[in-house]
Amino acid sequence: MSKTTVAEGYRNNRVGPILRAGPITDGVIEAAEEDNPGKEIRVDDKIAYVRIDTDGEMILRRETLERALGRPFKMSELEVNLGSFAGRIETTDDYVRFYYEKTL
Amino acid sequence: MALLERHEWYDIARSTNWTPKYVSEDQLFPDVMTGAQGVPVEKWEVYDEPYKVSYPEYVRIQREKDAGAYSVKAALERSRIYENADPGWRSILKAHYGAIALGEYAAMSAEARMCRFGRAPGMRNMATFGMMDENRHAQIQLYFPHEYAPKDRQFDWAHKAYHTNEWAAIAARHTFDDLFMARSATEIAVMLTFAFETGFTNMQFLGLAADAAEAGDFTFASLISSIQTDESRHAQIGGPALQVLISNGRKAEAQKLVDIAIARAWRIFCILTGPSMDYNTPLQHRKQSFKEFMQEWIVGQFERSLIDLGLDLPWYWDKMIAEFEYQHHAYQMGLWFWRPTLWWNPAAGVTPECRAWLEDKYPGWNASFGQAWDVITDNLLNGRPELTAPETLPIVCNMSQIPICAIPGDGWNVKDYPLDYEGRLYHFNSEIDRWIFEQDPKRYRDHMTLVDRFLAGKIQPPDLMGALAYMSLAPGEMGDDAHGYAWVEAFKKAPPLAAE
Repeated sequence: MSKTTVAEGYRNNRVGPILRAGPITDGVIEAAEEDNPGKEIRVDDKIAYVRIDTDGEMILRRETLERALGRPFKMSELEVNLGSFAGRIETTDDYVRFYYEKTL
Repeated sequence: MALLERHEWYDIARSTNWTPKYVSEDQLFPDVMTGAQGVPVEKWEVYDEPYKVSYPEYVRIQREKDAGAYSVKAALERSRIYENADPGWRSILKAHYGAIALGEYAAMSAEARMCRFGRAPGMRNMATFGMMDENRHAQIQLYFPHEYAPKDRQFDWAHKAYHTNEWAAIAARHTFDDLFMARSATEIAVMLTFAFETGFTNMQFLGLAADAAEAGDFTFASLISSIQTDESRHAQIGGPALQVLISNGRKAEAQKLVDIAIARAWRIFCILTGPSMDYNTPLQHRKQSFKEFMQEWIVGQFERSLIDLGLDLPWYWDKMIAEFEYQHHAYQMGLWFWRPTLWWNPAAGVTPECRAWLEDKYPGWNASFGQAWDVITDNLLNGRPELTAPETLPIVCNMSQIPICAIPGDGWNVKDYPLDYEGRLYHFNSEIDRWIFEQDPKRYRDHMTLVDRFLAGKIQPPDLMGALAYMSLAPGEMGDDAHGYAWVEAFKKAPPLAAE
């Protein structure tokens, strides 16, 4: 990869959670698919962490996560496994949203 | 009765910009401490922390995080991971704990400053949690290595390093004093939480966790990735502070703070994370190269979010990208060459297979760094190990406190970037380091690098043993090759069965 390509690597619109190894990863991937219809959800599994992303905006809803995980889930519990995230974040009681305001 | 949801009470509970009765607003929040740069308090009212947490949530979540990290540790305690780990991996742990654990206390002090002097109530709120986070990080990263201290004295440096004048500890302190300790609340929000934490800590706490998991050290992988979940939350203190500064005509000032912080963070992570990933992690356990992790976390993720907030790429962006190819290789040579001055045993990481990997990941490595390692390897093969030991002093950068170095061999680009300021000649590793100094010379001018101290006669006797004593490195602590030079065997030309 040339230096120019590396330097231009910030030109992307990928947003989404990076989860550390834990029990909710599959549920989050399932919720990401369901809550963001029509969007391609990419999963990059590095064992210690899993990068889940899509372009521009990703929403994860509490009720979807509860269904996917098969148990009650408070949105704030996401933090236990949220090692990092791409994009900006909006945290509410009912959903978490990752997004960028600008499209590059 | 059901408890209210957080959003039903959060805004009113957060509204704590009260009108002081006994002192003036300026006395309560002096600009020198808030760093508000004259932006009046009402302009900070729009500050809305994006990653919200309430105190009951915080306690519950943190308890769960700690329970997770400690239970992984307890479950794996008898699995002999430590005993079976490659010595290079053990060196990563030693370097990490010594360089990081007490730095977390510095970060805690910085969070405490935001907690008291943050101009926006939301900033003070989140910094209260951030302060507790950093206390957790300091304590847990002292507790985990403590069990190794009886097995290996170098682990004592998890606590000891910052209390010494060991050169890498000076470099870490100089950086953290600059970014965390000696800054106003707003500067800390921008430099520590935004630049350092949304950016670079991901490299050491998630990138390296990927290597840790590959190496089978799930205790360490779980610990550091758990720490990063705290960082991920309180790092969001910086974004809205930047937005307030930018929307009130302070973009240039904000950009300068970000540029300084990125440059300083890059140096520290380049020397700590770079050699850990590309040399000390056993070849078969490397998930990606350091450069690839930088592309993933810093270029693809961090710089992208910087653009979204309305900032520009640092002026030195292309120069820093160019350094991805070589700077940490140069640091690795220095770390290994001056190995008695470390509290860990650096792995050379240059077996024939390692060199092939390095050449693949960094085309041209053999013709540059490889040439220098050839000389070291030949000296060891010829039974002249004394020629691989340090006898001279490096020139140390007056900003990073790390020896000035770059590409050897073909493509040589080693160069001092000097500056004469008030009659004293300063030396820098790059135009970037010199630029930082020039932004606030009075802030930096009086500091003496380890070599400055040596030349000023402060280190006696003026030889390597005197320097080691000055750095508090006792026998049994000072570093040596992680593998006892066993890697040199692979270069012996004898036929495979000749020894039998």
